Parts: sequence; C-alpha cells; structure tokens
Amino acid sequence: MRRSPEIVRGLLVALVGLAVTAVVAAALLALGGHSPGATFAALIAGAFGSWDRFVSFTLVRATPLLFTGLAVALAFRAHVWNIGAEGQLYAGALAGVAVALLLPTGAPLLILPITLVAAAAAGALWAAGPAAMRTRLGVGEVITTLLLNFVALFLAQFLVQGPLQEPRGIFNQTDSIPEAAHLPALLPGTRLHVGFALAVAVALALWLYLARTPGGLRLQTVGASPRAARVSGRFRATPVVWAAFLTSGAIAGLAGWVQIAGVTHRMYEGLSPGWGYTAIAVALLARLNPLAVVVTAIVFGALSAGGGAMQRDAGVPEAWVRGIEALVILAVLATDRCWQLLAARGKGG
Amino acid sequence: MAELSAVSSFLVAAVGLAVPLALAALGETVTQRTGVINIGLEGSVIWGALGGALGALAAGSYAGLACGVSTGALAALCFALFAVRLGTNQIITGTAVTIGSLGFTGAVFQSRFGATGIALELPTVAALEVPLLSDIPILGPALFNQAAPAYVAYLLAPLLAWLLFRTRWGLALRAVGESPDAAYAAGVPVIRTRLLATVFGGALAGLAGAHLSLVHTGTFAENMSAGKGFIAIAVVVLGRWSPWGVVAAALFFGAAEALQFALQAWDSELPYPLFLALPYLLSLAALVGWFGRARAPGGLGSQWPRARG
Amino acid sequence: MSPGEIHGLIGENGAGKTTLARILGGLVAPDSGKVRIGGRAVELSGARQARALGVAMVHQHFSLVPSFTGLENISLLDPGAWNRRGAAARGYRERVEARARELRLAVELDQPVGGLGVGARQRIEVLKALMPDPRVLLLDEPTAVLAPQEVDGLLAVLRRVADAGGAVVLVAHKLDEVLAVATRVTVLRRGRRVLTTEVADTSAPELAEAMVGSEVAGSASSSRRRGAPRMPGEVCPRAARLAGVHARRDGREALRGVALEVRRGEIVGIAGVDGNGQRTLAAVLAGVQRPDEGEAELPPEVGWIPQDRTEEGLVGEFTITENVALALHGQPALRSGPWLDWRGVGEAALGVMREMEVQAEGAEMVASALSGGNQQRVVVGRELLRSGSLLVAESPTRGLDVKATAAVRARIRELAASGDEAPGIVLISTDLDEVLELADRTLVLVRGRLLEIAPGERTHRAIGRAMLGAQRVGNDW
Repeated sequence: MRRSPEIVRGLLVALVGLAVTAVVAAALLALGGHSPGATFAALIAGAFGSWDRFVSFTLVRATPLLFTGLAVALAFRAHVWNIGAEGQLYAGALAGVAVALLLPTGAPLLILPITLVAAAAAGALWAAGPAAMRTRLGVGEVITTLLLNFVALFLAQFLVQGPLQEPRGIFNQTDSIPEAAHLPALLPGTRLHVGFALAVAVALALWLYLARTPGGLRLQTVGASPRAARVSGRFRATPVVWAAFLTSGAIAGLAGWVQIAGVTHRMYEGLSPGWGYTAIAVALLARLNPLAVVVTAIVFGALSAGGGAMQRDAGVPEAWVRGIEALVILAVLATDRCWQLLAARGKGG
Repeated sequence: MAELSAVSSFLVAAVGLAVPLALAALGETVTQRTGVINIGLEGSVIWGALGGALGALAAGSYAGLACGVSTGALAALCFALFAVRLGTNQIITGTAVTIGSLGFTGAVFQSRFGATGIALELPTVAALEVPLLSDIPILGPALFNQAAPAYVAYLLAPLLAWLLFRTRWGLALRAVGESPDAAYAAGVPVIRTRLLATVFGGALAGLAGAHLSLVHTGTFAENMSAGKGFIAIAVVVLGRWSPWGVVAAALFFGAAEALQFALQAWDSELPYPLFLALPYLLSLAALVGWFGRARAPGGLGSQWPRARG
Repeated sequence: MSPGEIHGLIGENGAGKTTLARILGGLVAPDSGKVRIGGRAVELSGARQARALGVAMVHQHFSLVPSFTGLENISLLDPGAWNRRGAAARGYRERVEARARELRLAVELDQPVGGLGVGARQRIEVLKALMPDPRVLLLDEPTAVLAPQEVDGLLAVLRRVADAGGAVVLVAHKLDEVLAVATRVTVLRRGRRVLTTEVADTSAPELAEAMVGSEVAGSASSSRRRGAPRMPGEVCPRAARLAGVHARRDGREALRGVALEVRRGEIVGIAGVDGNGQRTLAAVLAGVQRPDEGEAELPPEVGWIPQDRTEEGLVGEFTITENVALALHGQPALRSGPWLDWRGVGEAALGVMREMEVQAEGAEMVASALSGGNQQRVVVGRELLRSGSLLVAESPTRGLDVKATAAVRARIRELAASGDEAPGIVLISTDLDEVLELADRTLVLVRGRLLEIAPGERTHRAIGRAMLGAQRVGNDW
C-alpha cells in the first residue's frame, strides 16, 4: 500500500541526506586535521575491502543494528517514541545468557528456541513499564525509556560483576554459553551467523504486517491520528499502542541475545556500543520502512566495521563514527523537512 | 560531634551534586515553557564539560566556566536551528544532537590529548565561602561554601520565578508554550522566543557540564555527562515546570546521589552498580508518583507552524 | 472606512474574507497593494504593530490561551497592562472591569478560559480586542458559535463601539446579521470585491446573488423539500433507541438522562450550541462510547460523519484508499485470510469517489491534498458504505462551500427517502438553518439534556430560547 511517489521521495531524501553528510563530514574531518580522502578510503576498505570484510564484519555488525532498527521503525510508525532500544537490548541479552547458563543441559535442541523466547520476552518486559506509564498515567515514553536504558546498563554491570560472573572471578563477564546455544554459521568459513537471516525474516514479516494486514493499518492509524482511530476506525488506540511497545521491545531484546549467541558467546559490560541509539538513524534513513531498514542497517554496519579500520589506517578516532551517525540523522531530517516545505510552497503558489 | 560533621559533609556533597542538575533543569524549564523539549540537553552538558576543560587549560578556571556556557549554548543552537527554525521532530533531533555531541566531544578530546587514557588535570574552580552565612551550623557550609555556579543557581531560581510568572515577558513566553497560535495572534514572535529559550537552556546546561569537569572532578573523560542531561529533564517534570519545584527536585536527586557515595564509602562490598542505578530508578518512581498532579505546557513538543501536506 | 461605521464583509467560504481580515490585523503580509490607516499607507508586520496603530481583531477560531485566566489573556496583548519594568501595572484589573461595565460585557476574569463556555470565551475575546480603544475593530465570523440571543448581545456591543467613534469590520456569512447591524457592506467572491454599498440601498436577495454569483445562485437558494413525504400514521421500523442515558466526557457529565428514538427513513435534527454534549451524544450513538447509565439499543454498524473531518474523519497522511480501508478493514468481505484485500478496498474507494463525485487525481491521492469539500465527500461516501441502519451526521457541512454543501445535503435527503432500506439519520448541527432545512423533527441539546421542539414552534426565536436553556438573558450579554 505504500505509494510509489513515496518510495521515490524516500530514496531521494536518503541519497541527498547521505551526500550532505559526506560533504559535512569531510569538511569537519579537514577542520580536525584529518585527510577526508584517506579517512573515507580506509572506511570503505574496512567495510567492503574484501568478501570476508563485507560478510564477517559489515554484515555481522549490521545484524544487531537491523534488529534494533526494526524495533525503532515499528515503534515510530505508531508514534511510540521508544528511545529505549538500548535498554531493551541489554534486557534481552541478560535474559538469554541467564537462561542459557542456568538451563539444565539435558535438552540441547530446545536451548536456542527457549533462549530466543526468553530474550524477546525480557525486551518486551523492559518496554512494558514505559507502555504502562504512557497509557495509564500519561507520562511520555521518551524520558522513561531513556532512563530505563541506564537502569539496564547498571543492572548488566551488577550481574556480570556478581551473580553471573565467570567462576574464575577475574573479568567482569559471564562464563561461555554452552555450545548448543550458539547460533550456527550462515555462510561456512565466515563469522556470519544465522542471526542475520533471522533479522531479515523479521524485517520481511514486519513489512507484510504493516503493508498487508488490518493490524498494520491500525498501528499506523494510531500513530497518525489517535482520534481518527476511534472515530473512523472504531477501535481503541490503547491496545494497539501496547502492542507497538511490546513488539518493539521484543525485537530489540532479540538484538542483544543474538549478538551473544552468534558472536561473543558471553555477556560482558559494554556489549553494545550504542546500537539502540544508532538504530534511530538506521530507521529514519529507511523512512521507517522495514525492508529499507535491511539496507540502511548494512550501511551503518559498514560505518561501524570501517570505523576500526579508519582509526588503525587513517588515525581518525573511532568516536567520529558516532558523530557521523548524528550527521546522518540531522541531514535526513533536514532534507525531508525542506522537501515538505518546498512541496507545500509549490502547492500554495 | 562526629555525627554532626558526617551530616554536614553529606549535605555539602548533596548540594554540590544538585547544582549541575538544578542549573540544567532551570534552563530546560524555560525551554519547555516555550513548548520545546530539548533531549539534546545531554549534548549541551558534555560540550560544556569539554569546553570548560579546554577553556580552563587555556585561560584559567573561570574562563573555563564561560567557555562551557558558550559551547553548551552552541550545541543547543544547533538543535534549535533544526527543531525550531526548520521544524524537524524535536525528539529525534534532540537524540541526534546528543549522539553527535558524545561522538564529537570524544573525537576532539582524543585528537587533542590522545587516546592514552592518562587522566587530564584541570585547574579547578575553588569553593567561595560567603562570610557570616557559611558560619550557620550544618546548613551554612552546605549552602554557602560552594563554587560559583551554585550561587548562579541560587540567584536564578527566584529571578526566573519572577520573570516567568510576574512579567509581561514571562506571560508571552508561557503563551508560546501553551498555545503558539494564540501567542502569534497576540503578536509574540513564536520562533524567536523558542530559539532564544532553547539557547538559554543550552547555556545553563553548558555551565552544568563545566561544573562537572571543573568543580566535581577536575578532569574530562569521554561520556562523563553520564545521562545528567536526561535526569535534568526528569527533574523538570518532577519540578512541575516551576523554578522552585525544579530546585527542590534537583536537591532530592543530589541527596540520592550523595547517599549512594556515602554508602559506597561505608561498605565497599555493596553492589555499587545498583546504587548507580538509584537516581534513574528514583526518577522513574517519582514520575509515576507525581505526574498525575502535574500539567505540561499545552504545546510541548509541537511543531510550529504546523506542517502542511 | 470611516469612524462610526460598521462595515459588513460577506462572502461564501473561500471568498477571501478571513485572508483580508488577517492582512488588516497584521498577521499576513499582502503580496501586493497597500493598507492605509488614518490616511497614511502603513506596512503591517505583526499583530502588535497593527495593535499599536489601532487595529484590533477578534478571530474566527479562538486565539485565547486555554490555561491562562481571562485577565492574563487580556493583558497579553495590551501594553497598558504592564509597567516599565515589565511587571503587572497597578490598577489594571480595575481598568479592565470598568471597561467591561462600560460595554456591558459580563466577563469572568479569574478562571482559566479553557474551562469556560463558548459564549463566555467570546466575551473575553471581544473585551481583549477592545481594551485599549481601537480605531478599527475586526471581527472574523464572531457569531458562528453563539446562540441567537448571544448574537443579539454581541451586535449591541458592536453598535456601542461604533457609536463611540470606532470603525467596525464584521466578517460574516450570515446575511441577516450583517443587515441587522451594518451601515455599509462589501461582498467578496473568489478574492475579488464584487459589490460595496450602503445597507439602506440593498436587499438580502441582491446580496445573496452577489455572494454566490449568478451561475449557482439558482440551485443554492431554492430550498427543495424532501422527496416523498411519508403517509401520516405510517410507522417505520426502529433504527435506534436511547433511554435515560448518562455519559461522561473528560470526567464531566456530558449527557444527563437522554432519551431518543430514531426510526428508519426519518431525519432527526438536534440543534444546540457547541459544547452541550454533542460530541458525547454522537459517540454514544455510534457505539464508540458506552453510556455510564441507561440503555442504548443500537445497530451493529453505524455510519458516523464526525464534526472534525481532518482530525477524526480522515487520516491526512493516508491515501483515499487507505482512509476507506480504515473504516472497512473489519468487514470479512475485504479480508482474505489474515490479509487485507487491497484490491477490494481500492474498488470500494473508487466507488465512493464516483458516487460522491470526488474531484481527485485518483484513489491514491493523499487525503490532506484534497480540498475541504472533497474531503467531506470522501467521509460521507465512506460512512454510507458501513451498511448500517443508522447514520449520525455531525455538522456535516461546516466549512464547505455552496456547491459541496448542496451536494452533501442532497445526499442526506436522498438517503432518508430511499425507501425500505433507508437508515435513520441523526443530524447534530450547530447550524440552525441546516437543522430546519433537513430535519423531520427537531430537538435541542442543552447542557446534556434533549428537549423536543413541538412542530408548531420550529422558529429561530423559540429554538434559540431552548438552546440557552432556562438561563435568563438580560441586557448584560
């Protein structure tokens, strides 16, 4: 049901936004005494330099961004301003790891499905608090989801320093999860794991849901106009808002556990370098379209994979990557808004 | 006597910790009273901390404070140009400004001082003792033996309360936040008011950031704002958008944080990450408990003029 | 314009009345041309400057800050309310009260205006405009939300202002009000002045023709009665029944013991001033809100043309098709398994567009890009598709031009006369003329209660009295 002019507009806005970002970033890099050319070259080589760089680094880094980006896109579609994907990610990671470590090892086939469900449930639970506060008390979710991010972070710190710490008690990390809980490789010989395919499947399912089902229509109506939902749609907005919160939280929860089960195989402090926040850039650049999120997550995965190479080969601090992410958000917002204003002016004469 | 000095030093710490929150929250109160919610406040805080550090190294601690104010204001100006002037979504724009500020302050810091991790030593802002007042038992040292930004906060609270609720200027400002259309019809320049209020909020958040680097720690570290800007926004809500309420809420948080430090010092075996989470949990609890009685400005977070098409 | 004059500015919706008023009020800059005040050409750049030059304005939509008190709202625009330091000036409140007495305006100064009734808010709006004596007072459709007696009160205030030497511009689309009070009148049509004349030299028919232009005047002014009048004594099946219904809105009791019976094929008109429970009554009839007390027998599907088409009737950023889907997505015929049948919905949307003659580039056009009239046609056509035996229409022609108004009213009449399949129609409207033109019987909703108007008493005066309830209206409007 998405309209073709919308798709064209989305593509144009995204491309113009990226171009503006590149120009501004180049100017800032030059200002900071770095060579923009060398920096971009290192970045691109780090992300796309070889098949293995692309699959084992870019796509692997894109996976958690894809999950969190989808979580944010879904929530924003319903105008649920969930800034808490980061916290929900940690909640999912902790639940997955706890279940994997504590579950009796007798059922190796069940362990993956159970941990995945546990992670999703924990993410949803982490989003349930803000959902209740918004629907029952009228407290905006922006500040509550943000605050819960910090709570989740400290909770993770506490658990990996205490109850869940590895038996040796040296590092602030958990024990390795049992092999049965590892996500198998997707492409043999690379580090890419099945989690990526799972994320793409979630993207596809979300797209179908939003574009083709009555529930998807309801979700977007609640976002665009809660009063129209009640009057024209004859349904109550509250359950739909709840569904958006919980589903968004569940998907973000998967991001954390899939990262552990597929890549790190243990939980530690600072598991996420801020994927929950980068997700906002990912979702916005995709104009909240789940299929486009697949592409934009790979773009940001490349940025992240290239960031390391950038620091190593061009001597540019990795902190720049976050700055560039912010530039992407601002550039896309501004381009979109200018487009809107120009269109209105064209119409108004 | 020992108990008395323990209480006194706890109060000194509580007030000191409350000062940056109060400053940032007082600024954000003015911002939100015009209908703008600036989540990028966290960005202003971290820029203020870095600006304070750089300014202090170049020209001494008081120049550092001034520099922190300016860098904080600049970050807010960046937010305002997008969210107010251009009319982009305030929440997303604010989040972007926060992300970018954390990234770029890190980048500037590393390119200036390297990523070696050696702690930076800054000239700090010394406490100023107010004669006579600081001799009041218990409360005296807590309130009147603090660094300069504390006194700025003391002066600002009554000043802002008067300006906001007793003057033409405040009435116009609040009208912009409650109903921008009505304010415009009454001849109030909506965009300019929102821009200035946002920059003012950023300047105070910058001062709060400089307070972190030049008073609390005497150093700068990446991400050292650690969510102070976000807590300040919760403080605004808890303080019900009134300067006095905001000061009270900030003191409450300062006390909670001081308590956490005191408990840590008392028994190092306590799980300190849980104490670190305490202020955030308290924010949430307070939002649940208090919000029912509070009322946000009617036009908070709204785009103006409204988008067409 | 000269001092002491009341100038009526009339024209259909979209004729440019509001824009002209906003230019004079300093809110919109003219693309070309000049504004002269007191013989000098001036450039108005903002309400405060217009105000300083002596132009005051009362807006069509309230320009009051709801959470501020009446006094705060009045002092917002008035430099006289403040001393040099910007603090409240001494004795300002007394000056406001004195001015209110002088104009005989009963105002409530200490309550937040959001909680006041429409008439009370309008009085504060007028007092706010008149606080410093303006040379020119502009009023943009000030009577749209008032009951007839309140209108009389307002017009009397305007006369007092003119007698005191002020010039008044009254923007309106109701001819009788303008004729009652104005000394001169200008007619606008599609942004052009078509006529300016002394009121004494003109007549209502002449002005009406000037307003709508000769090409549509004929069809608009001929008030066709409904097609087939029913036989006396004929009883149609019941469409809906409310008995002893109490319901709340925003925590306040909005309906207090409402009883209503609607039969298929009849149009029940419900008149009343805005804010007397209309929204709640519509929500209860549509089955969206359950009554707190009392019984409501309703058909399973009810068509509802809501009062606010841009916020409630349509989702602006959705296409026409998506907006149709919003209403029909629950119907089994438009589903296949878990999926929405977008092809079926698309056909339904095209059907709506054909049926209601919607002017659009296609069903994939975004609703916010349609004109108000076409938006309303989409809503009406779509609600008719909700195959129900009851249709609730809330001010269905508010803000529409003559042609769209005629089309919507014709469709409603046609529907009521469509034989055995005809739904019962409840027409809730603040436009008394509309109710009188369309309805078979008339009720008045006042403070949550319904009063039936006997067939013999269907006059403006009598209904107006009922609309104000038992409240005594003295000289103090």
